[in-house]
Amino acid sequence: MTSTPQRFFWPRLIGLALWLVLLTLLSLWMGAQVPRWLPVSASSAAPLVDGLFGFETAVATFVFVGVVSVMVWVMLFNRAEKYDISDAEPIEGNTTLEIIWTVIPLVLVMGIAAYTIQVNREIGLIGPMDHSHAPASSAAGASVPGGEVQVIARQWSWEFRYPVAGVSSTELHMPIDRRLGLQLESKDVIHGFYVPAFRLKQQVIPGRSITLFITPTREGRYRLRDSEYSGTWFAANQADVVVESEEAYQDWLRRASRLPLQPGLSEASREYAQQLSGERGSGYATIAPAPPPLVNVPGSNTLPHDG
Amino acid sequence: MTSTAGVDSRILKAPHPVPGAPDNWKRFFSFNTDAKVIGIQYIVTALLFLLVGGLLAMIMRGELITPEADLVDRTVYNGLYTMHGTIMLFLFIFPVLNGLNNLLIPCMIGAPDMAFPKLNAAAFWMVPVFGVILMASFLVPGGPASSGWWSYPPVSLQNPLGHLINGEALWILAVALSGISSIMGAVNFVTTILRMRAPGMTLGRMPIFCWTALSAQTIQLIGLPALTGGAVMLLFDLAVGTSFYRPEGGGDPVLYQHFFWFYSHPAVYVIILPVFGVFSELFPVYARKPLFGYPFVAGASLVIVGLSLIVWVHHMFPSGVPQWMRDVFMVTTMLIAVPTGIKVFAWLATLWGGKLRLNTAMLFALGGLFNFVFAGVTGIMLATVPVDIHVNNTYFVVGHFHYVIYGAATMGVYAAIYHWFPKFTGHMYYEGLGKLHFLLTFVGTNLNFFPMHPLGLMGMPRRVSSYDPEFAFWNVIASLGAFLLGVSIIPFLLNLVSSWVRGPKSPANPWNAIGLEWLLPSPPPAENFEEHVPTVISGPYGYGTGRPLVEHQDEIERALLQA
Amino acid sequence: MTISPPLDAPPTPQGQGHQAAHANHSLTGFIIFLCSESVIFLAFFTGYAVLKLSALQWLPPGVEGLEWRSPLLYTLVLVSSSGTVALAERCLSRGQLWGFRAFWLLSMAMGAVFLYGQAIEWRSLPFGITSGSFGSCFYLLTGFHGLHVLSGILLMALMLQRSFRPANYAAGEQGVIATSLFWHFVDVIWVMLFLLLYAWS
Repeated sequence: MTSTPQRFFWPRLIGLALWLVLLTLLSLWMGAQVPRWLPVSASSAAPLVDGLFGFETAVATFVFVGVVSVMVWVMLFNRAEKYDISDAEPIEGNTTLEIIWTVIPLVLVMGIAAYTIQVNREIGLIGPMDHSHAPASSAAGASVPGGEVQVIARQWSWEFRYPVAGVSSTELHMPIDRRLGLQLESKDVIHGFYVPAFRLKQQVIPGRSITLFITPTREGRYRLRDSEYSGTWFAANQADVVVESEEAYQDWLRRASRLPLQPGLSEASREYAQQLSGERGSGYATIAPAPPPLVNVPGSNTLPHDG
Repeated sequence: MTSTAGVDSRILKAPHPVPGAPDNWKRFFSFNTDAKVIGIQYIVTALLFLLVGGLLAMIMRGELITPEADLVDRTVYNGLYTMHGTIMLFLFIFPVLNGLNNLLIPCMIGAPDMAFPKLNAAAFWMVPVFGVILMASFLVPGGPASSGWWSYPPVSLQNPLGHLINGEALWILAVALSGISSIMGAVNFVTTILRMRAPGMTLGRMPIFCWTALSAQTIQLIGLPALTGGAVMLLFDLAVGTSFYRPEGGGDPVLYQHFFWFYSHPAVYVIILPVFGVFSELFPVYARKPLFGYPFVAGASLVIVGLSLIVWVHHMFPSGVPQWMRDVFMVTTMLIAVPTGIKVFAWLATLWGGKLRLNTAMLFALGGLFNFVFAGVTGIMLATVPVDIHVNNTYFVVGHFHYVIYGAATMGVYAAIYHWFPKFTGHMYYEGLGKLHFLLTFVGTNLNFFPMHPLGLMGMPRRVSSYDPEFAFWNVIASLGAFLLGVSIIPFLLNLVSSWVRGPKSPANPWNAIGLEWLLPSPPPAENFEEHVPTVISGPYGYGTGRPLVEHQDEIERALLQA
Repeated sequence: MTISPPLDAPPTPQGQGHQAAHANHSLTGFIIFLCSESVIFLAFFTGYAVLKLSALQWLPPGVEGLEWRSPLLYTLVLVSSSGTVALAERCLSRGQLWGFRAFWLLSMAMGAVFLYGQAIEWRSLPFGITSGSFGSCFYLLTGFHGLHVLSGILLMALMLQRSFRPANYAAGEQGVIATSLFWHFVDVIWVMLFLLLYAWS
């Protein structure tokens, strides 16, 4: 390929244009596949996150497949003959090209950034908007600013308290289509509050009280996972989130408030007890799990969940 | 000095290879101050620890092949992944890159050795020392550190047995020693590059590898002290009971996250920049074309250094940082795509219209570029706050950085090892074994690390020893990929050992490459050019231009052929 | 082109030109190291500021504030030792070896007085390193700086001892320059530390 003769110019241009069209179609198709890879979307934030991720997937596909097709092309058509040790045509650079491939990516990533900031704002209005409070200022008053549910993370269990209804549980119940404030607190180490179906995550930091607002939009049973490594039984520190209609939610609160306190769910405590009795092998020394919280409703964390 | 019969006994004990005499392999076990010996010491030590770290990874993948925590106890699993990360970063990738720096920088710039040879040797010998300390932590009561390689407090401060000597304390000690060793190395590399270049070798004529090494070592000098400071406070909290990070004494656990990531994000660039350098060296050689846009590729490295120091909060989007901080750090993170893009496009333009020779080194470089671009596009996804909030601390992130650190960086290191193997051992490697190694590595990498992306999107947190059954399918595939990667090491080691022992002799310039290191005999003598340092008269990568790199190039090449 | 290394020659070049070049590298390397070292202090300062600004109760219970008068006195001693170091260097560059030694020794003594003052202050304080974030920061910052002062004094002692070697400083005094740079660095750090710990309250 020394110089491009005129008669090869048009076929090449058409080929390139065809390839770009094909690449664009492929990228759009990939972007549309995104919902299949993600859990069901069950909060008001989820469609926004999914939309952004779909857009990014399309752009990413375009860039990645574009680069790879150049690599495949040169590996197929620009190979040296077996005994050819001569050099190729020495092209040392081209300032116009450099400017083009500096400016286009710059515009592209700034575009993505602008879109993202937009999504951030929207999610902030309807979703999280976390506020930190120093423990001393909030512990004094029983009224929780904005937080309708108190989420207490421990090594290794989740406890959910509904101070107004006087209910506590190890299963999180939330009413659908209402912005609910969760006040996140940790009794020991940093945990992570993460419900994949809500696409939301927040570190739960000891010594701080963080309020997280969520608007669930789909009824069902979802998984809450500890997302910040918290020690030995980190992996087992899961709970279920039940999203239900406002009536069902209020009904659940009413029934729950009448139930006597009993130990809640704690997979860690169960395994630890097995280790102590020798039913289960053990490894290195570990911090003992906090005793399961006493709650009105232990709930379940073994029922089939939607995401 | 040409016949081996009746050689002077001093030759057999020489601290450097002597042409025509049997090799004195014992020099690799001594406090040798020759950068080329130290370079090989670094690389061999690092490869040994790669085996250890890889073994730990395969036990982990064995555990994760089923949803239940059934192969090892959870505490053991937590120790395994902590040590896997620590070993791979501090005992494999950093030392192996320092090994390349030692071999390549003095030869490429025409210096006889590093600026401070004794400091250099001391920096190397700290690696086995802290390696042993880290390995010893498996034996102390309570087991090794098991709070992840981030070692976030308060988890890292929990000391179930209450002993003063515990896995976590040894871990901090090892990381601190690693930091001191790296700072010693960085002072040495930067001084060498700034002060010891051959006549005529201006900064603008320096090979890109030296540019990237300079950039990477600058990051070490700025970032590492911050981590060291943070680690000292962590050690005090752990051992003395101070309250820098302990919430109950008024400390702030998130402060540690800032210290940690202020260094540990730029550390990724410390790893990837020299690999960019390797790509920039290899593509021109095997495409027989000059590097496209040399000044832009060199300058992009410096831009990356600057940006790398102002992006760390993107690791902390869910840590309770205010919204404005999220936006600012997202934008800075996004900007890194621009200089990186300049490099990727420069490489593609270098390859375009070239005359490619796909030997093992080139295949690894191309494979590394493939994986790097994949990691790059997922990196952009991770930079955007809402998507990051969803996939932060999930397997999506694990997949992303393994594509960077194994897929791109380690494959780039393999490329470099194959490419410069003949130069520094004096023997050619076997192409067949090399290509087998490439095939297994490339397939294994993608099989192992691609499935982590869908897992993360589905919401599987990283660092779990058990998981919900819906994640089983992709985990099985990832585990199979991990075992394949384990197998891929076998042809590699076989190739290295057998080629070095009895591979065909290498000429001075087997790849017909341009660069000062290729104007030295293979292997180069102790002081490289000694008194005869050539004067550089043109920029690097003059493939096809017909311009000589140095004065009297023909005479030097003729002398090399005769030797 | 000869490529076989001389077997009898040690691996590092010993020629006069080489040695001078190497000494020059040492200063470059040392300056790079000092820049890097300053980042550790920067990290500690930042940590101090962040903890102080976000603290609900900063000083340990029963502690009103730090006594600043006698630390100020010792600060003056340390800062003026930068001047005596500069005088010592000037003597050396003029070839007045005894003048150099006298001022050098004086600077060492002033550093030692500073350390003594700090030891007295540590013993008189009503809080320890485990008394909350403030105690932790105070002892870490002053202790880490004190270690630097001590290293500075030891480095100066080494340079002093070298001045007795015949013609040691004939070719240049890179070691002395590096040591005095280190000393100025330690002084500047202390001034910032004094402002942070004692003045900012």
